[in-house]
Amino acid sequence: MGFSFNFALKNIRRRPFRSVSLAVIVLFLSFTLFVGAYTIISLQNGLGSYRARLGADIVVVPNSAKGHGSVDDILLQGITGTYYMSGKDGAKIASTSGVQAASKQFFLTSAKASCCSSRVQIIGFDPKTDFSVMPWIGESYSGEIGDGDVVVGAEVTVPDNRLLKFYGENYHVAAVLEKTGTGLDTAVYATMNTVRQMAEDASNLLDTAPYKGVDPQQAASAVLIKVEDGYSPEEVADDINIHITKVQATPARSMVAKISGGLEGVSKIIGALVGIIWVLAVAVLLIVFAMLTNERRKEFAVLRVMGASQKMLFSVMWIESLVISLIGAAAGLACGAAVAIPLGTTLKGALELPFLSPNPGVMSVLCAAALLISAGAGAVVALISAARITGSETALLIREDA
Amino acid sequence: MKLSAEKITRNYFRQGKGTNFFTAVAPVDFTLEEGKLTELVGRSGSGKTTFINMLAGLLTPTEGRVLLDGRDLYAMDDNERSAVRSGSIGVIPQGQTGLQGLTVLENVLIPSAMYGGSKTKTELAHKLLEKMGIDDLCDVYSNELSGGELRRMAIARALINEPKIIIADEPTADLDDDTTKQVMELFKSKATEGCSVLIVTHERESMKYADLIYKMENGKLPKE
Repeated sequence: MGFSFNFALKNIRRRPFRSVSLAVIVLFLSFTLFVGAYTIISLQNGLGSYRARLGADIVVVPNSAKGHGSVDDILLQGITGTYYMSGKDGAKIASTSGVQAASKQFFLTSAKASCCSSRVQIIGFDPKTDFSVMPWIGESYSGEIGDGDVVVGAEVTVPDNRLLKFYGENYHVAAVLEKTGTGLDTAVYATMNTVRQMAEDASNLLDTAPYKGVDPQQAASAVLIKVEDGYSPEEVADDINIHITKVQATPARSMVAKISGGLEGVSKIIGALVGIIWVLAVAVLLIVFAMLTNERRKEFAVLRVMGASQKMLFSVMWIESLVISLIGAAAGLACGAAVAIPLGTTLKGALELPFLSPNPGVMSVLCAAALLISAGAGAVVALISAARITGSETALLIREDA
Repeated sequence: MKLSAEKITRNYFRQGKGTNFFTAVAPVDFTLEEGKLTELVGRSGSGKTTFINMLAGLLTPTEGRVLLDGRDLYAMDDNERSAVRSGSIGVIPQGQTGLQGLTVLENVLIPSAMYGGSKTKTELAHKLLEKMGIDDLCDVYSNELSGGELRRMAIARALINEPKIIIADEPTADLDDDTTKQVMELFKSKATEGCSVLIVTHERESMKYADLIYKMENGKLPKE
């Protein structure tokens, strides 16, 4: 093994063009595998996170929520939206048969003006009835969220003094939430009392505020519903849609299914692209290795004449190809990581799908898998070519090259 | 160390019109004598190279056995046969056999590194290169050498493991008269030291160093 290892390393160093060319092909393998897998896993994570954050069986919004700034827009892309249903409608929804729990949310949008730190979606929730936001906040913050406190999504910039200004007032950032990969990462959460304060301030400051005159204690932008056992969300949603005008009830399942369908399509396209690139790259590798092995017949024959066994030659080829493939695969991973992470943000916007990067554990497994699979593919392809030649009679190899 | 052949034959399969086998070496019995320089002559295509390749353990005979100290070389598995060949038989094949990407010294040391572990033979390599008159080229890459220099490097390389048997296929083909003399004297001295030396040659000048000469004709080997 000592000879094979030293000889293989010498070959790699002394044939830089050959070594780099092979490494570049393997780089493509690991790059596509990593970027493809990273994107698919992130989309799946995003869907899981979206499902978890929805936390309800049915989402009810006023009819005016259709289009720009709908719940989908807010959840997926963080597009701000403000629309309200009356307190009367909210009460009707809560009393619909099959509704086990109903929790109102009030959406407010901060202004892009000196009165506010930044333009974000502010979501007010009622801590007494909430079953959607509190469990999520509980994952990163165990304290109480008092009036005047806000909790912010992972992508909201928090100043060092942890104070955010909305409509002229400073609010204390109690916690920053875990990343979800959805539009909620750019949202700010507060209790209904806090949001009511913000709405009042907004009405005083801005003449055109859409919530002028809207009472957050009564009105709601969305009502999240949990259905009783024995009822299907579709039945209850139909019941609400039939009996309460001006609102639109959508089973969360169908919202998830819509995303899931889109995600499946995108995943298939990415999978197919990765597959095509792999087939092409492996075919190129096979051809290149076959050509290189052919070119090296003389070298192998000379080594055999000197006493090298077939096993030794095989080891030389194996070590050479493995080292080159590992270097190529590692470089591919580095390029993949450099591209995939910014690409994720672009994809999230372009595909309108939730996108949540894998956690460090999954990322490590993904890196290791991409490295091993790509390096392994390179090494195996090299060995297929090597096997053809190491089994040949030495004298015949010399004669062929004479 | 005794190297002998018992009725070795080699057939080649020839493709083309009237596909059939071609016999390169007919059944041949042969013993390479210790302490002697044996030369093998014959016309091109008479089967000399095929014959010595079979003796060197590089080409499996179609029939017959090659015995090294009574052990059938081709009954050994590849690992054992390779190790035995590396330690006992120094082979100088036809043509240019420098390994590109390696210096002259590295080329010469390769056979000693294969099974030698950490034991290096750098000193011996320099001595051999000096005898071949190319020690000043030890750090030069083999692809920068002339044909004659490559031949001399291949000779030094074949001798690095101090083999008891030396088999050379036209070792002086690319060499000038002075270097041919130098090389043949080296082979002769090896034979005098007790090695069995077998050389294929076409050159009359080389034949004066021979203790025994065989002439191969159409794959057969009558003693000359």
